[in-house]
Amino acid sequence: MTNHAIEARSLSKTYAGGVEAVRAISFDVEPGEVFGLLGPNGAGKSTTVGMLTTTIVPTGGNASLHGFDVATEPRAARALSSVVFQEAVVDRALTGRHHLATHASLWRVDAREAADRTADLAEALHLTELIDRAVGTYSGGERRRLEIARALVSRPRVLFLDEPTVGLDPRIRVELLDVIAGLRDAGETTILLTTHYLDEAERLCDRIAIMHEGRIVALDRPSALLAELGDQIVELRTHDDAGATLDLLRRRGIAGLDAFSVGATVTIPLRNRSAADAISGIEAAGVRISAIGAREPTLDDVYLHLTGGQLALAA
Amino acid sequence: MVATSPEIAIPLPAAKTSPFGPVATLARRRFQLSARTPRELVVPLLTPILFALVIAPALKTALHTSASYEGFVATGTIGLLIPLNTMFAGIGVLVDRESGAQRELLAAPIPRALLVLSNLIVAFAITALQITVLLVVARARGIHFDITTTGFVWFLAAAALFTIAMYGAAETLAARVPSTEEYVGRVPAIAIVPWFLAGSLFPIGALPGFLTWFARFLPLTHALALVRYGLLDDPTGLHGIWHMNSTAASAGLSLAVVAVFAALLTAVGVRSFTKRAVG
Repeated sequence: MTNHAIEARSLSKTYAGGVEAVRAISFDVEPGEVFGLLGPNGAGKSTTVGMLTTTIVPTGGNASLHGFDVATEPRAARALSSVVFQEAVVDRALTGRHHLATHASLWRVDAREAADRTADLAEALHLTELIDRAVGTYSGGERRRLEIARALVSRPRVLFLDEPTVGLDPRIRVELLDVIAGLRDAGETTILLTTHYLDEAERLCDRIAIMHEGRIVALDRPSALLAELGDQIVELRTHDDAGATLDLLRRRGIAGLDAFSVGATVTIPLRNRSAADAISGIEAAGVRISAIGAREPTLDDVYLHLTGGQLALAA
Repeated sequence: MVATSPEIAIPLPAAKTSPFGPVATLARRRFQLSARTPRELVVPLLTPILFALVIAPALKTALHTSASYEGFVATGTIGLLIPLNTMFAGIGVLVDRESGAQRELLAAPIPRALLVLSNLIVAFAITALQITVLLVVARARGIHFDITTTGFVWFLAAAALFTIAMYGAAETLAARVPSTEEYVGRVPAIAIVPWFLAGSLFPIGALPGFLTWFARFLPLTHALALVRYGLLDDPTGLHGIWHMNSTAASAGLSLAVVAVFAALLTAVGVRSFTKRAVG
């Protein structure tokens, strides 16, 4: 039996009609780790979560949760895990308490333990005043907190969070990130988090896999991914065609192959050069600049470098 | 700001409970949802009660038939109530899928057939309640039933198996249509059209020859013949199907037909649900 909390080997999903949503991805997640799947809409993140939670049947490869194969031992795999879906998955007519009780019963949590857990989670997630109200009366943030509480009532060894903060207002989003950070700090639950918000991934995840068109194009710690673009980058916005500007700067030796353009913006990793030298070189090349500056790279830059701007279009 | 204590994240060993626990949990959930949706309880009852209390007496008067015709139509409306009620129950499956908690239930460590089974249990219970209401109201209206213990068993068996069969059809349809609108659009073809052909308002022998032959293949024809045998002690429907001298043998054969439909449609319903639910 494997020691990995999650193990995926050449995991693939091709839908009827030939759409390849996930293309032979492989990764391991260690117990207690927070693992981020990053990518734009359509990158294959939710399909991957669907396969790992056994709600989507893989068409190739295999995956397991704590050694239980999701295809051949799906109930054992489901017994170890819980999932918070991207969209609301609730019965609006029923109360929050009913949702937690149903989950606890289906996951075979002892009734007394379930009642204690419900009280603890309601307090921890600020649901105590809401728990006996119909979920249809909840705000978006309240409903999402309830879904997280529901997922936790069975104390899952693996928790899947599929874009948990999408569509929430900034205050609620910050609160939910704190909740997830609390789970991470407890270290007892392995979390697989999908998001296209790079700041979330950078803050919460021990490691990140960047998905693009069904494939994992990078997988490492956030700091290691950031290091790929060096310490500083120059970012310029131009009145000219950004692609042509990038070609010009490459011919002049100012931009390397790791430079990239998105919309009207060209981003150039500096590596060991100084920002002043790069900017004077760009000006000397005759580029019509609307704005230019140097800054430290972010995960957005890493993502755009790897995927050619898809995330910016999606988000 | 929300805080999460380390304690709430410690994995919990699974408790050993009865294998019937998940079914009871799911059925309780479905019942609570149905109880909060009055249309699921009331609407399927309206048309059959209208038939039993208003249309049947009116037909008796207009057609100058005997009082037994009221009983014939009142029992015939059971053949409308069961398909309507089970089909309405199928709408709950679509609501679960489109805007309810179905995905959460699919992620639970239980056999997915239990989701269908628990919905069936609730649809069955509500149908039983509605049939009881229909019969009580019909009796209060003065419609006479002639019930023996044996006959009541035939009635119960036929009604129960036909309810199971129709719920299988409802699950199958719910799994195969993309939206509630399309589902509702197809309900009349499944719940109402067969009712007119299955001997609900007149014996199937009164139909044109090829339709009489066709009616013998409808499970509703067999179920209604058994219901009338059970509640009115009237075996003419069974004889009209099988042309046999033995009423017991005819009843046994008709019950077998309904049972086969129940088994087949339940199997297809479970398979369709699972296939649709898991991509």
